[in-house]
This record gives sequence, C-alpha cells and structure tokens, in this order.
Amino acid sequence: MRNKFLPLCCALCLLTGCNNAHRVETASVIENVCVSRSADKLCYTFFLLEDSDKPHAVTVPADSFEEARRLAEEQYIPHVTLAKLELLLLEQEVSGEVMRRDIDYISTQAYFSPVAHVALCDEGTIRRLKRDNSAQELIERQIDLLHSEQPEVKTDYLSVFNAYARRKSFSVPLITAEKELRVSSKTVIPVR
Amino acid sequence: MNREVPFSSKRMLLTLTLCACAVILLQNHELSQRLSFPLTLGAMAAGLAVCFLFFIPSVLLKSRHNTDALTLLRSRAKPVRALTAAICGASFLYIAVYFLLPYTEMFCKKYYPDASPCLIAFLLLGCCVYAAVKGVNVITRFGIFLFVLAMTTNLLLFGGCVSSLDFQNGGAFLSGKPQDFLQDALYFATPCFIAALFACLCGSAKQFRVRHVTIALLMTGVKYALVLFFIVYAVGAYAARQEYRTFVLSRVAHFGSFSGIESFYMALSTMSVFMILSLLLCGVTKSVGKPGSLPLTAALTGGIFVLHWLAEQFPFIKECFTCPPVLIGFSFLTAVVLPAVLLIQKRRQHA
Repeated sequence: MRNKFLPLCCALCLLTGCNNAHRVETASVIENVCVSRSADKLCYTFFLLEDSDKPHAVTVPADSFEEARRLAEEQYIPHVTLAKLELLLLEQEVSGEVMRRDIDYISTQAYFSPVAHVALCDEGTIRRLKRDNSAQELIERQIDLLHSEQPEVKTDYLSVFNAYARRKSFSVPLITAEKELRVSSKTVIPVR
Repeated sequence: MNREVPFSSKRMLLTLTLCACAVILLQNHELSQRLSFPLTLGAMAAGLAVCFLFFIPSVLLKSRHNTDALTLLRSRAKPVRALTAAICGASFLYIAVYFLLPYTEMFCKKYYPDASPCLIAFLLLGCCVYAAVKGVNVITRFGIFLFVLAMTTNLLLFGGCVSSLDFQNGGAFLSGKPQDFLQDALYFATPCFIAALFACLCGSAKQFRVRHVTIALLMTGVKYALVLFFIVYAVGAYAARQEYRTFVLSRVAHFGSFSGIESFYMALSTMSVFMILSLLLCGVTKSVGKPGSLPLTAALTGGIFVLHWLAEQFPFIKECFTCPPVLIGFSFLTAVVLPAVLLIQKRRQHA
C-alpha cells in the first residue's frame, strides 16, 4: 500500500502542475521591442511570438519602457511576458534620449535576459520588421556576426549597461534597411 | 528508527563541501560592492581559515577517540544530555531557518514569482523529513549524485560565462575599507556550520584523515573564488542592480543562442539546501538520543516551518534569522565549545 501511495502522490503533484498549461497558450510572448518616435511621441512596438509570416505588432505610446510595459499589460496585451525578449531596437533619433534610461530599468528587472541583443536602427528597419516575420532572425544573425568580427562592439544589455557604468564611449550595432538589412557599428558617448 | 550505519569519511566531507557551497549560491547583497576582487579573495581566505579552526576540536576528538561529541555524551548524566540537546537544537534550528529563508526568497523572486515562499518551504521540508529519517548514510550517498549535478552546473555556469568576460569590469586592484573586508570575512566564515555538523555526525565515519577536511575547505574556496571571479569580470556592475547576484550568473551563461541555465542553478540550490536541512535534522534527533525518529523529526520540521512563517510575516524576525554573526556564534557553541569540553574531560579521565 505504502509503495503505491508514494508514486501516486508524485504523479498527482506532477499532473496538477499541468493546470498552468493554459497560461502558456494564452500568454503573449514578446520577442522583440522597437522604440521610435511618431508624431512627437515616443512609441514602443511590441512584437509577439507568432507562427505566421506576418508579424503581430502592438504599438504603445509611452514615455519609458516601464510605462510602455505597464500600459501594454493593462490595455493592449493581457498576460504579456517579456522573459523571452531577444531584441531591443532603438531608432537612432531616439536612442540618446531612451537608451540609458531603458537599459537602466531593464537591469533592475529579474525577468529580462541580460544577454538579449540591443541595437540602433533606422525607420526602414522597423517598417521591415512590421512586414516580415523573418527579419528579426536576420538582424540577430547580423549582430552576432558583427560581434564575432568586432568583439569590442556591445551587443547586449549586460555589456551596454557596464559600458555606461564605466562612463566611456563605446560602440553598438546599427541596423539599416535601404534595399537589404545591413549592420555596422555606431559610437555612443555617455553624457556625464 | 534507523541505526547508525558506518559510512565513508570522504563521502561525508564531500557532502559537507556541497553544503558549504550553498552559502555562495544563496549570496544576495551580503558581500560589499566596494571591496576589490583581490581583497574579496583575501576576505574569503580569512573566513575559510576561521572555518578550519572550527574543525580542530572535533577533528582531534575523531582522530584520537574515533567518535563524535554527541556519541560521547550518551554516557553522561541526564541534565548534561538535556543541556546539550537544547544547545544543538537551538543552533541547528537557527541554521536551518538561516538557509531556508534566502532559498525560498530566491525561488520566488527570481524563478517563479507566483509561488508562495511558505509553500516552497513546506514541500522542501517534507522531503527533508524523509531523508532525515533515513539517516546520514543515505544523505551522504545522495551527496555523490549531487556532486555530479554540481559539476555539470558549474561547467555550464562558468563555461557559458567565458564569452562575457570583460577585464575592464574589475576596477581598481586594491580598493575598499577595513569594515568592508571585515563584513566579507564574516560572511565567508558562515560555512563554519559544516564544522558543527561534522562535530555531531562524524562518529560513524570510517577511515578519517585530517586532509579530508583540508581538501573540503580548499574545494569550497576554489568554488567561491570562481563564482566571485565571474561575478566581477563577466557580470560586472550589472550584478549590483539585481538581487541574488550569483543567480544572475546563471542567466548570463550562454552557448550561442542557448542562454540561461537557471533551472540547473535552482536544482543545485534546492538540493544543497535539502541536504543541509536533512543533516541538521539528523543532528538534532541524534542530540536528543532518538536518531531517525519520525515523530521527533516531523515535530522539529514543524518548528522550522513555523519559524520560517514567522520570519516571512515579521521583518524584524527575518533580520534576526539572517544574521551571519549569530550563525557563527551558534556554530562555535556546537563545533568548538562542545567537543573541546569533552576533549578536556577525556584527557582528565586518562590522566
């Protein structure tokens, strides 16, 4: 009796854990966030994990990543999860204003992966991301390639945050999309 | 009720090493940010040297008389036994809550925010009751399995962080204040609780050699040094922004697109804390003279759970239970005072 009771308890514990499975189905997994300016207002575009060719993007006007995340959760995307966020793209024009502040916020949050990619981009790259679901993978591959060629380029939250902490200039990837996606590096000078 | 089955001394010290490593796995903001890496290593060496000193009385007892403090006390008068049981009980219950609190907090804050700390504590303590009833021999056998898991996790942890190494993160070679050094040394002396466990449980260990203790502390030191090195040079200033900065290492570790070995890290922390709690329960039941007694183990586990619950409810109680000097004080009583008194008595008897 005792020998049967123990495995039964274990099985019950394991199976009752499956009760949470519906949360995975309904959860909105964000894998990419773009920050741009539209009509003089900062906009955070959340790209949801999708199987289809066309990406599912939700644009939230907000003053900071923190506010955008809160608004997205409250008004636009219920059960939003940022634990799988792989890429943060900042439009070149807004990067000076938001990069340090948003990376600073991200560094305090437990659920963000410290090794997720960060890059600057132009308007065309964001347009391309909104049209083509494979663009993100391409951008990440290009960033990895750039990092292997130029290891001094800071490509993730961790290294960008540490570079800001040292208060010295550093390089980050810059993605441009005229005819095709191209990656180069751009120097960032922290404001003292 | 289990009988005291003899077990290998090497296996016991390996188990105690893994228990000592839990200290660095659960490290939160206890270590000073201002102290440079070489000075932190110095503080670590000082802390572990204190731990070695804590081992001396029980090592002498074991090597000269092949026994431990609690086994020797069995032939003493009832009031003496009651006093010893009270000291061991208070010490080990304090140490149990000291480790259970940061573990449940880390689990809920970093790994599964929806979970209740008390529920996690309840489930873990349930497993500890089973292990404690089975006895030290079975727990040390489990230590071999845990050693394999620890090796795998460490390889993934350190191997995955190599690509993030940046030696510009280090800062000045020698910087920090004496009080920072003292604070760190005090924290690194907390593994002395393994000396208390050794003093109470080493009676049945076979083929004991003093070098086993030295190797155990050296292994602990190497593990600490590696963790500190990677925190400073791979995570850098980012670590200071997060709670449980050693845990951040597991999130930074990556091999290409595969990143984050939090599950391995949590598994290792869970099993290390599980072993600490089980061995502590074994120690208390042995001090009462009923090793392996299920009702007594269950009652003690209930006590640990209540103390954990109280600490979760009242912050001032939590502060009392997360104080390294108190842990060192209790460990001193059990690991140094108790065996030293018995050693002196034995010497007088022989004289």
